[in-house]
Formats: sequence, structure tokens, C-alpha cells
Amino acid sequence: MAEEEVAAEVEAVMAMYSDDCKVVEIYPPHLLIHLKPRTADVSSQQFVEAIIAMRAGPKYPEEPPHISIVDSKGLDDLRKNHLISSVRNKAFELASCFMLVALCEEAVDRLSSMNHPDGNCPLCLYPLVDEDAGSNSLPFMKLMSCFHCFHCDCIIRWWNWLKMQNDTNLSTASTSCRDIRDKQGMHKMMEESMGKCPVCRKVFLAKDIEHVLNLVGTHTQLDSGGIEVDEDFLEPESEKIRKEKFEAVLKRQQENSGLIEPKRNEVLLPGMYLPRPVTSPSAESEPENKDPTATNSDNRPSSSKRSNSRTRKHRTQHSRKHDRQWMRKESDPKY
Amino acid sequence: MSSTSAASRKALSKIACNRLQKELTEWQVNPPTGFKHKVTDNLQRWVIEVNGAPGTLYAGETYQLQVDFPEHYPMEAPQVIFIPPAPLHPHIYSNGHICLDILYDSWSPAMTVSSICISILSMLSSSPAKQRPADNDRYVKNCRNGRSPKETRWWFHDDKV
Repeated sequence: MAEEEVAAEVEAVMAMYSDDCKVVEIYPPHLLIHLKPRTADVSSQQFVEAIIAMRAGPKYPEEPPHISIVDSKGLDDLRKNHLISSVRNKAFELASCFMLVALCEEAVDRLSSMNHPDGNCPLCLYPLVDEDAGSNSLPFMKLMSCFHCFHCDCIIRWWNWLKMQNDTNLSTASTSCRDIRDKQGMHKMMEESMGKCPVCRKVFLAKDIEHVLNLVGTHTQLDSGGIEVDEDFLEPESEKIRKEKFEAVLKRQQENSGLIEPKRNEVLLPGMYLPRPVTSPSAESEPENKDPTATNSDNRPSSSKRSNSRTRKHRTQHSRKHDRQWMRKESDPKY
Repeated sequence: MSSTSAASRKALSKIACNRLQKELTEWQVNPPTGFKHKVTDNLQRWVIEVNGAPGTLYAGETYQLQVDFPEHYPMEAPQVIFIPPAPLHPHIYSNGHICLDILYDSWSPAMTVSSICISILSMLSSSPAKQRPADNDRYVKNCRNGRSPKETRWWFHDDKV
């Protein structure tokens, strides 16, 4: 009887945590559960996680299960102890109840309350989050593979240093960091390479760092002694164009008291333009609008195609509403 | 030997300075057991006294480490040597050069002077015999014109000591 009830409870845990729950034994229950703080599944907001083992004996639930941390990320010993002792306390509180789900929930609560990076940046040794500085605090990032956190400036400085070391087989230290100016080259190097975490040497993918490079330029000034990130690299030409177009749409929307014209039921072909484009005066010349579509698409220089595909990522993130119409126009060589 | 590599002669960058100031403050609050930083006004060269750990071959002995920081510390490893007389150890040459991977290929900018010191003391403590490396004479002769150990192509073959 008890065994069936316990088995039903294990099933409930499995249903709740599905892939994050590994059942070593159904009776007496022995489970490994991968628990994360509540971040609405936004992984960039997650700084801690833990795999917790719950191993019950045949006297469960009268005797609470044994609880331990099998693996964790982003938790120092102090926080690990805090996590484990609060789950154990909960287990004693709930003695002789079916408690497995409640214990998982307790652990998730604890993880959620501890879901912030702790301590110093391992590279500059200054606090990751400077409470005194408030919003002036330096931006930081974490490596997805191990959850070790660094100031963005610090890790990028190190990353560029590594790239430079790999790139120049000249004698070290004599060349300046600013030599990495060729954005194409830099981009290529990033894509091909992988790095190792300076703290634990766990391998991470280059793209982990790359996305930080894209973020960092907007709100930081690098120390004069450090490496300057090329402005063009952070905001390529195509992105500037995108912004201009977006602002044009916005302006039009404001002029129309917030209304955007309903989409018409017509097929948009290459070479067709929006009814009243704001940015491009040349589009007002009627005859051009009636250009045969075929020549237009044939003449499209390959360079513009390439830049288009490179920036598609940016575009899809913003202004979905403005839709494909704008993309068509952008790829037109006349602009 | 002391003023050898070009890297160590260049002044510290601002970032290196900040980081070293921080390490020094940290050291003063919480120095690694068995080590004493000799106070100087030179941030770029630290001289550190090492006391052999009790219960090991080096118990009761005192040695001196010289740590020179390059312009781009901590991206680049510091140069760490024993000021002769260096302890008799299978990985320590008589000119004070230390064969320890973290000082060269395996350096990571997340390491600190403090963590280096702990590694060196652990290396001393696990020594099975007080002896020089087999190639000591050849190596020391090669370094006679004051070469930095950072320019040596080290071959790390022994992971026991």
C-alpha cells in the first residue's frame, strides 16, 4: 500500500520535472533532479543551478530522504550549504508526509533567492556588482558552460589578448592590442575558436563571448590602458541603415497619430515600394516604381545580399510589425 | 637575471596596477600561510619569503621568491624565480628557475600571487628527495646570459611532484 503511494509520488515528481528528473530507483525512491531558479526560462537571468539527489529508505516517508548536492553551478560553498540545510530542514518539518515535490519546491525557492552572481570578478578582483555604484556598476556576463561571471570589459580584454597571442607569432608584449582592427578577421577567428574559462578551464564556445562584444559597446567606455573595441564592429553599416529605416517608420506612425495602415491583400514583388516611403525621395518618381521586377532582382549586387543575411538576426528581433515590406526595399540596390 | 625579459622592464599598465594594488590589499588582510611579503615601494617586483611547511623536507628552511610583473599582467604570467640559493628540488634549477606549468603554458588570468605561492609550497611539500633536476647543469649554462625562465620551452613531464 505504502509502496504504491510512494510510487505515485515519484510519478508526480517525474511529471513535474520531466527531463530534469532522473529516476535511479522508484522504490525506495532515489531521484536526481536538476533544479533551476525561477526565471521564466530566461537563461540569461539564471546565475545558479543545482542537481540534487534525494534518496529515501524503506521507512520513507516516516524517515525523510537523504538529500545531497550532486553538482551545481554558480554556487560557492556557503550558498551550497545554505541550500542543502534549508531543504533538509524542510524534510524534517514534513516528516511522515509525502514530501518529494515539496522539497524540490523548497530548493527552487532557495535557488531563486540566491539567483545572483556573487563575489569578485576573477580577472580584476573587484566586486562583480558594486552596490555603491548603483546603475553605474560595470556590466558583467556569465559563461553558459560553467556560470562563472566576469565583468564584460575584463573578459573581452582577456579574449582579445588571447586572439592577439594566437594571431601574432611575433615576440609577445611588444605589439599593441589595438592591432586587432580588422573586423572581418576578428569575426572569423571568433567563429572558429573555442575558449577555456579562466577559472575552471571548462571549454566554452566562442559565440558566448561574441554576443557580449555586441552588447558592450553601447554602455561602456574602456579604460585607456585597455583594448578599444572598434565602433564599426559593434554597429555595422547595415545596422545603422536598419535604425534609420525604423525611425522613419516610427515617424510616419507618429504623424498618423499612432496608426499604421492596415496591410493590403496584395502580393509584394521585388521592385515594389511602400505607398509613401518617408526616407527615400527618389521613390516618388512614378516611372521607377513600374520597373519590371525581373531586371531588378537580377541586377541585385551580391554584396547587398550578403549584408542582408548577416543582419537578419537584428531585424527579426525588432519591429516585426513592419514586416517584410521593408526588407524588400532595403535589398534594392537603388537605395 | 633580475632585469632580463623585455616584458618585465616595461612599466605596468593601468589595469595591471589596479589589479596588483587589489592583490596586495588582499594579501595584507589574508596572506597565504607560510609566506611573507617583504614591503617595498616597488609594485612591479615582489619579494616573498617562503617557509618550508612543517613535516616536509623543507621544514624550518626559508627561501626567497622574486615575482616580476609584466606590463599586461594578469593576461601575461608573472616571472617567478627563487633568489639563489634555491631549494634543492627535482623541479627547481640552481639558478632559481622553477619548472611549474602554471607559471608558463597553463597560466590563467584568474590566478593570483597568492595562488601561485600555494602551488609552489605544495610542489615543495610533495618532493620525495632533495635533489636538482637531471639537466640542471646544461640548463643553467644555457641561461647564463640572463635569460628569463619565461623564454624557456618547458616540457612538463612529471605530474606527481
